[in-house]
Amino acid sequence: MNSDGKNSLMVWLSVAVVVSSVMAFAGGYMVGAMASSNDAGVLLVDDYGRTIKLSATPERIVSVAPTPTEILFAVGAGDLVVGVDDYSDYPAETANLTKVGSYTLNTEVIVGLQPDLIISSDLVPLSQLELLEDQGIPFVILATRTLDDVMKDIRLVGILTGHVDDAVALAEDLEERVDAITAKTLAEGVVMPRVYVEYYPYWTYGPGSFGDDLIALAGGINIAGNTSSEYPMVTSEFVIAQDPEVIVYTFGYMTSTTADEIASRPGWDTITAVSTDRIYSVDDNLVSRYGPRIVDGLEQLAEMLHPELFE
Amino acid sequence: MKARGPRLSFLMRNPGLFMILLAAVLIASAFAAIMIGSLGPIGPGDPERISFGDAFDAIIGHDDDLPEYYASVFWDVRIPRILLAGLVGAALACAGTAMQAVFRNPMADPFIVGVSSGAAVGAASAGLIGLTVAVGAFTAPVLAFAFALVTVLVVYRMGSVGGRIHVDTLLLSGVAVASFLGAVVSFLIYFAREDYHQLIPWLLGSMAVARWSYVWILILPVAIGCFVVFMYGRELNALLLGEETAHNLGANPESLKRVMLTVAALLAAGAVAFTGIIGFVGLIVPHMMRMVVGANHRVLVPAATLFGASFLIWADAISRTIIPAQELPVGIITALCGGPFFLYLLHRSKAGRVVG
Repeated sequence: MNSDGKNSLMVWLSVAVVVSSVMAFAGGYMVGAMASSNDAGVLLVDDYGRTIKLSATPERIVSVAPTPTEILFAVGAGDLVVGVDDYSDYPAETANLTKVGSYTLNTEVIVGLQPDLIISSDLVPLSQLELLEDQGIPFVILATRTLDDVMKDIRLVGILTGHVDDAVALAEDLEERVDAITAKTLAEGVVMPRVYVEYYPYWTYGPGSFGDDLIALAGGINIAGNTSSEYPMVTSEFVIAQDPEVIVYTFGYMTSTTADEIASRPGWDTITAVSTDRIYSVDDNLVSRYGPRIVDGLEQLAEMLHPELFE
Repeated sequence: MKARGPRLSFLMRNPGLFMILLAAVLIASAFAAIMIGSLGPIGPGDPERISFGDAFDAIIGHDDDLPEYYASVFWDVRIPRILLAGLVGAALACAGTAMQAVFRNPMADPFIVGVSSGAAVGAASAGLIGLTVAVGAFTAPVLAFAFALVTVLVVYRMGSVGGRIHVDTLLLSGVAVASFLGAVVSFLIYFAREDYHQLIPWLLGSMAVARWSYVWILILPVAIGCFVVFMYGRELNALLLGEETAHNLGANPESLKRVMLTVAALLAAGAVAFTGIIGFVGLIVPHMMRMVVGANHRVLVPAATLFGASFLIWADAISRTIIPAQELPVGIITALCGGPFFLYLLHRSKAGRVVG
């Protein structure tokens, strides 16, 4: 990069920082997203700390993961989306859009759509996105880890697509709903139940994962919260010995566990959640996609953990 | 065999004593493994460490003051798991010994005629169509077992010409069918996508699925299968000298090969159907025992069977405790421990003559 470009970048960055702080972006994140937009274009730093500069507001966007797809439609930018990945099935309008593959992207189809921006999660291999960048199609990565990240990503997508007002309104509404839940679940004197959440038999959410964050906000103690990986497969005897008071399993695409199956696992009849019949299910898409619907998932989880608070 | 230390040659001269020793090791291993775990006197102590006395009381149901789940952990989870590990280890080691003799090839293992790749297709398709849980705990095992047997039949057809089994052709068709089915499994995994990591413990082998019903189903077939291989020990010895020599010694190589392939394939298919593809046990345990007791199959078969059971019980004990609270597929442990130990033995027995 020549010095001229560097200088103008510095100007852009300063503008971005000022704008972002004025808009009260989620504070406390060293590497967070920052963005600004005006008639001359958009400049932002994505969740990987990459600086992306667009000469104009994008008009043809390809979303290669369900989370950005749901955010794009939620902030009112759905009409800009020309292609989505195979798993993007919400909202219903996505059914009519061109499918571009999933973890393995169909590069030819994407190039053929002539997008001016690709939005991705951090699950898509970077090499494929870089290949498309070489074709002149920039990409933005949303690496969501917490509920705060979701709010930040919503605002980021709003700025990126010129739907700032909608995005801010949506994020504020969601934050209000989250606050309404946590005001109850995290209030003083609330007894937190031990919770085991599984998204496949014996696979659960470990420390640092999104599920762990959701369980904490819903007012529960994650029994796998001290394990050594983000998405551990736990032993059956560990779950029995931890004796969860609530068990939540996800249902959805290719997960076919049932409450009966869980209750019938060898030795699980001594678990409190089983003997008190507190085995619940939640739509996988509400807890594994980090878009606006995650708050629906949080609300459901909170009601399962604390039915006494939500009567 | 080269001359070796006085102790080993003593064991070779006294096979009966060695069998008693191996049986004692197996029983001791099983009892030790019961004490090892996330809840137990030995282990990571997470969530809690309990004393030997409490563990013992919980197992025999002696003390009513202990939490109810103590007994659950021991009787519903850990003991069936240890028994299953012992049965699978015995089946794989015995089948491996038989396959190495039939193929007269040190690289032969229980899966050489396509058992594991066939079973993998069965298990992967069960996972892909999401049947595993919906239909019951037996869907994946039944599909895996059925696919394994169909695969073995195909390989067997390819490997026999004019009613005779040509082991070289059989070996090659086994390899070819295995790589073809490997591609099918990759294809299924690719489309399973989000579901694929549920399949990983199966593909690497795991005892996490253990339950009493699996133990009851396996116990008799494994016992009978291992006994049949043991009864053919003399014939297997003759076969190692070459098919012609075996024939001249009064053995019928064709029927012997047929019986051994059938029994070994059934043993291996039964083992992998429940717990997935546990590698190395069926390959290295026969070699380890051959280095100790020699190539007399009257001794080698029971030695490998007993030691295979102990070996897998220990590998499983490590796999469920090495990362607190978490499952590590046991196939990773068998490969990690077994591989280097085998190389060490190979190095010590410098002659490197591991078969015959």
